[in-house]
Amino acid sequence: MESLLRMSNISKTYPGVKALDQVQLAIKPGEVHALIGENGAGKSTLMKILVGVENPDEGAEIHFAGEKIRLSKPIEATLKGISMIYQDLSLFPNLSVAENICIGTESAAKGYARVKWKPMKARAEKALAELGLKVDVSLPLEKLSIAKQQLVAIARSLVFDSKLIVMDEPTSSLSSGEVEQLYKIIEDLRNRGISIIYISHKLKELFAVADRFTVLRDGKFVGSYDKEDMDEDKLIALMVGREVDVINREENAGGEEVLRVEGLSKKGNFKDISFSLRAGEIVGITGLVGAGRTELAQALFGLNKPDSGQIYVAGKKVNIRTSSDAVKHKMAYIPESRQTQGLFLRQSITDNISVTVFGKMLNKFKLIDRSKEQKLASEYIQILDVRPPIAGMNAGQLSGGNQQKVVIAKWLSTEPRILIIDEPTNGIDIGAKTEIHKLLRRLTNKGIGIIVISSELPEVLAVSDRILVMRRGRISGEIAASEATQEMIMNLAVLGTKAGGSK
Amino acid sequence: MKSVFKSKEIGILSVLLFLCIILSVNNPVFLTADNIQDIFKANAILAILAMGMTLVIITGGIDVSVAAITSAATVITGHLMKVLPDSPLSVAAAFAIAILSGLLLGLINGTLIAKTKIPPIVATLGTMSIINGSVLYFTNGVYLNSSNFPKAFIRFADFKIAGISILIYLIALVTLITWYVMKYTMIGRSVFAIGGNPVSAVRAGIHLERTQLFVYGYMGFLAGIAALAQMVYTKSVDPNGMLGFELTVISAVVIGGANILGGNGSVWGTLIGVVLLGVMQNGLILSHVDTYWQKVIVGAVILTAVSYDFLRRKRMESKLLKVEVEA
Repeated sequence: MESLLRMSNISKTYPGVKALDQVQLAIKPGEVHALIGENGAGKSTLMKILVGVENPDEGAEIHFAGEKIRLSKPIEATLKGISMIYQDLSLFPNLSVAENICIGTESAAKGYARVKWKPMKARAEKALAELGLKVDVSLPLEKLSIAKQQLVAIARSLVFDSKLIVMDEPTSSLSSGEVEQLYKIIEDLRNRGISIIYISHKLKELFAVADRFTVLRDGKFVGSYDKEDMDEDKLIALMVGREVDVINREENAGGEEVLRVEGLSKKGNFKDISFSLRAGEIVGITGLVGAGRTELAQALFGLNKPDSGQIYVAGKKVNIRTSSDAVKHKMAYIPESRQTQGLFLRQSITDNISVTVFGKMLNKFKLIDRSKEQKLASEYIQILDVRPPIAGMNAGQLSGGNQQKVVIAKWLSTEPRILIIDEPTNGIDIGAKTEIHKLLRRLTNKGIGIIVISSELPEVLAVSDRILVMRRGRISGEIAASEATQEMIMNLAVLGTKAGGSK
Repeated sequence: MKSVFKSKEIGILSVLLFLCIILSVNNPVFLTADNIQDIFKANAILAILAMGMTLVIITGGIDVSVAAITSAATVITGHLMKVLPDSPLSVAAAFAIAILSGLLLGLINGTLIAKTKIPPIVATLGTMSIINGSVLYFTNGVYLNSSNFPKAFIRFADFKIAGISILIYLIALVTLITWYVMKYTMIGRSVFAIGGNPVSAVRAGIHLERTQLFVYGYMGFLAGIAALAQMVYTKSVDPNGMLGFELTVISAVVIGGANILGGNGSVWGTLIGVVLLGVMQNGLILSHVDTYWQKVIVGAVILTAVSYDFLRRKRMESKLLKVEVEA
């Protein structure tokens, strides 16, 4: 059958990172097509290119419904019949349901024209009725549950007569009953001849809804497969078949315990978390996005108050209510988005490194002693091998990997005993990744206990001594790195058991 | 829309009614028709400017140059009126001049904000200073009074229909136009869309720049009308008379329930906010309370209203679950 959508030779280069490399994707009319891959495999970038949020590199070809297209704005895609339902839904909480559905259509009026509320409401009601939802369309969207908001987003694609709907993690905030309903709706859309690209990490879901699968890995096309030829184990193997530089390292039993967590719970975040961390040990915490990893890290560092449970630092029970309490207990936390949360991009490397220890940089008049700062900065630039080693350079001018080194330096200068680092190599080149991994291993020689939170399985395997897998807010398993495989971790993350879950 | 806006509006409305009851018990003068009309007349300029500011704030912006623009429009119109003949046409000309000069200055703000992406507070801070400085340079701070205006304008200023001042009709007209624009035009709905979620708005094909240009242009247009209202009310032009008035305008909008971060706000809420400020001022004067206390009380009202709103929002947010924890 002729493809509804054919994307070929799609590449996308960001400064320093090749997000997509000659990727292809073909979608038949009336099929549900699952697009899968680990975090950072390039799924979102590919979809952003499809709907015109991002421009591909030279040479890309996109054919849709028999014509060659090149979109530069999302609304052009919508009008052509390609709708995207974003994970965060991308709707307007303050506008009425009717407007959320019809904004951009004729019945919502164009330009400065009069908004025709009556036909707009009628059209919105009709679209929602087709999805089996009856609500007052003049209510503001924020009054609706997330599941209903999602139906609003789907209804929006119906009023635009979409031939192709992209759903990005559509079930991430739905209960299981609501997921069943969504399946029915997807089935119904398919019966009408609408094609769906379905992005999800949840393999069970994919097998429930998808007809075909396309797997991406590290920005490259792995293959497209029919459902009949696939099972969960095969799919996991295709997703994780990534090569990593293995770091030579001796097994580390660790020194004395620096951190212990007992029964830490917070409603809607995580539940019953217990584990310990020893000096000189790296514990990897992994799991799917939304499993509660970052929420847990923030709780340890006093940024997200838990409801119950205890934290012990160096054997003593502590009460960490704010991040400065955590710093007092010699903890350091490096968040995921280093550009927005971890760095002052317009300040020099020196200023970035010394900011955490201003108190120690003072001269006898209690003013900042520039020479002390310089000394500290050049020391860490050398230890961490920041390149170029120019202390006065703005942090924003460094590559991703070197920015991350500066963030690490900034926290190392506080001489922490516990370092929590969230997605340490997010958006960093493969080569620089290995360098960061080696750096983390080196730090353990100083007796620092490190918690690495990461969605990238090869990374977790490469740096950790022990691996904790989280699934839906709980720790679903703990594995020693020497025994762990990517399949084992993926099974724990997705299914909650170590053994493969499929037939 | 109804429930969210209404619940907010009812909150301020009940405060207003409570205040009115106390004042009318305290002083029988308060509830007379004359006094009530006086309250509206005295706050006509505030009401007109607050309508425009509501739109600006809904987009997530702010305009601190409104008072300066209004002053400039009064000065320009006032000085041109000195040379206009005594004819009803001169009143029409005064309208046109005031509105055009306001609109022009507003569009300059809009262009700066939409095209150069300067944050609204910085852009309007800059234009405010330039306008205020220029106005003082050209006028030397000199007043114009009724003897400088054509007689026809004075007659227009005293004009009443059914015993009600022309200023009241002006408030009603501006309120209705703004309400209509916000509810029934695509550009009005775009204002809400941009304030609610700018990324989605652009994805949905809304023109961010055009909407910003409109919003600040409309603000300038209303500043022109407010300038006229000012001259009708005082029959004079005081180049310094409006200094700092932008903060009163913003206060009225915020008390009226608009979210300073954008997304929410309504014409009716703003109108109630204006009346609340007016009644407070009037009531304090009638009760012989030192006028300095007014500012203290206005501040307290703003803080109470806004913190109530933020706490409510925070509570709502914390109820949203982040992770579906397995039971």
